[in-house]
Amino acid sequence: MRRTPTWPIHLVLLVVSAAMVTPLYWVLKTSITGDNIFAYPPALFPRHVHLYYYVDVWYYIPFVRFLVNSTLVSLIVVVGNVVFNAMAGYALTLAFRGKRAVVLLLLSCMMIPFQATIIPAYLITKELRLLNTHLGLALPLCSTIVCIFVFKAAFDAVPRSLIDAARIDGLGDLRILARIMLPLSTAAVATNVILAFIWSWNNFLWPLIVVRNQEMQTLPLALSTFLSYLENTTGALYAFCIMVLIPGVLVFALAQKQFVEGLTSGATKG
Amino acid sequence: MRGILLNRYTVVFGAMAVSVIAWNLYVATHSAGRIAGRVVGPDGRAVAGATVTLREKTLTTLEPRAAAQTDDAGGFVFAGQRAHHFVLEAAKDGVGKSERAAYRLAFRGQSLSISEPLRLQP
Amino acid sequence: MNVARRWRRQGVIWLLLAPSLAIFFLYRIVPLGWNAVLSVQKWSPLRPAEFAGLYHYEEMLLHDDVFWTSLGNTLVYMASAPIGIALALALALLVNAGLRGRTVYRAIIFVSYPLMTVAVGIIWRWLYDEKLGLINYVLIRLGLVERGIAFLDSFTWAMPAVIVAAIWQIVGFFMIIVLAGLQSIPPNLYEAAAIDGADRGQRFARITVPLLRPSLFLCLVLGIINSFTSFDLIYVMTRGGPNYATELLITYIYRAAFVLSQLDYAAALTVVLFVLLLAVTWAANRATGGEAGAVEAAE
Repeated sequence: MRRTPTWPIHLVLLVVSAAMVTPLYWVLKTSITGDNIFAYPPALFPRHVHLYYYVDVWYYIPFVRFLVNSTLVSLIVVVGNVVFNAMAGYALTLAFRGKRAVVLLLLSCMMIPFQATIIPAYLITKELRLLNTHLGLALPLCSTIVCIFVFKAAFDAVPRSLIDAARIDGLGDLRILARIMLPLSTAAVATNVILAFIWSWNNFLWPLIVVRNQEMQTLPLALSTFLSYLENTTGALYAFCIMVLIPGVLVFALAQKQFVEGLTSGATKG
Repeated sequence: MRGILLNRYTVVFGAMAVSVIAWNLYVATHSAGRIAGRVVGPDGRAVAGATVTLREKTLTTLEPRAAAQTDDAGGFVFAGQRAHHFVLEAAKDGVGKSERAAYRLAFRGQSLSISEPLRLQP
Repeated sequence: MNVARRWRRQGVIWLLLAPSLAIFFLYRIVPLGWNAVLSVQKWSPLRPAEFAGLYHYEEMLLHDDVFWTSLGNTLVYMASAPIGIALALALALLVNAGLRGRTVYRAIIFVSYPLMTVAVGIIWRWLYDEKLGLINYVLIRLGLVERGIAFLDSFTWAMPAVIVAAIWQIVGFFMIIVLAGLQSIPPNLYEAAAIDGADRGQRFARITVPLLRPSLFLCLVLGIINSFTSFDLIYVMTRGGPNYATELLITYIYRAAFVLSQLDYAAALTVVLFVLLLAVTWAANRATGGEAGAVEAAE
């Protein structure tokens, strides 16, 4: 069998990688450059480098406040997701009356995108008096069907013998879940944590609807408000952009495997 | 124990937490906000009694914050300054005005000794 | 197990399901019904509801140009999904070719997906800037244009510009899905075909493509859903402008509901959005042979 040369493949992949990275590099360069960013032609490499745009972002806007908001909301979402999804996933491994209806219900709920529910969700949140609160921001995201099935698959993989032994020892369902299932499913927990974090951290439409004053803004909303007030007039916008992207890139770099596994669990399930 | 310590999450987030705390400690202990500099005339000699105005640069405007007089050696000092991006301008009647000089600091309250003197031009 | 035990067991099970079911009930099922109800009412927070029948639908379908424009834009956006999928397929094949550094390539191509879409919008706004953007700079240097094109302000270029940014963000995700599908094809199928004398092209057409159908179909459905739900990018890059050239159905819904405060009309629009989404997904399902994997409308 003839070996095909690999360098053309490398070449194409390098070009594609450059195309994928260039936008990020371009904004990073703009955020750390000490040159005038409004000078034409735009320079490919900055001649002077400084971090003062980041200082601007830190002080000119209540960045810490926004960061705290985003972190709090994401924390609630992550904890809610892990707890509720694990509970529901475990329940789905047991046999009970109405199970098929529940599974059907969950699968059909997956077809309802969040965007099709924004108006009533807003009205409901208003009735619950959760507008402009962290809980109101977090609540719709606190359980996701994909993650329930991730847990279910992980729990299904736990050997029956362990469960049977636990039942004989008289352990109730909740204890079985906490003491046996969860410790053996750290991968599923990790996937849940990462997916829930990324979805809640990047969520923009819901905070846009629910947040009513400046201080409760989460980071995506704050970034968008910054853009609408100041447009392109300052390099601080791009420093803000980079600061906001760092957690996402960090999570991606640290937990790529779980992230990919979580996302493709829909692909391999069908 | 070793496993937890060497876990990449602990390392990364631990390093971040440590550097954030260290930075905040540094900022807290070095926030005298002392801006010092000199004013010279068109001939290069120190000018006493010149007025130096400090204006803070916000994203959209320049806000006047403080003014100081130069001493006999032409030096001036602002203390307790809280702006991180500001503009200095020196003027003396009869001698001239200096250009606006912009300075950026790494954190609010950082002290700065300006090496290049403000030169008055008529 | 005696009866009491069994009842308690059932109770525990429903208790376990309760929080998740409550959230889905509150934020998915009830809204669906409420939307439908709202859409046949004339309602505002200040006036009590009155039944209005098909009043909003009539206005939408017969008198609202913006609706039809936004619908058209949504379909254009949807039609761009196959481009992203084709690119992802090509990339997946290349990355799967077993060369060194494939994990690095995979990571670099995939890094765009978990990024905040608002930030991605801002990044691409800067790239598309008329005077200072990298894209115009390259075009001018290559001699393709004389002056920079104001991409996001032009009728003809705004939508393609946004679509390019959207493809940039999602191609990595599609690639990952196709890669997973590729890697699940048993290699001995290829070997057996090679022994039987099939060449590369035949192996690709007869083995790879059919076995990739579920993955490709999943990408297609996700692309369709994306075109109905992709709000952030448009909002940040163009706000639906210029003059509704990039207004999608979802951005119009947001504007009608929360800027123009016409919640009832927006509810009708949402009903149309949802019905269309279901219809298109069902049609895609039938057209590709009914390989419905379980799909996440997760975003």
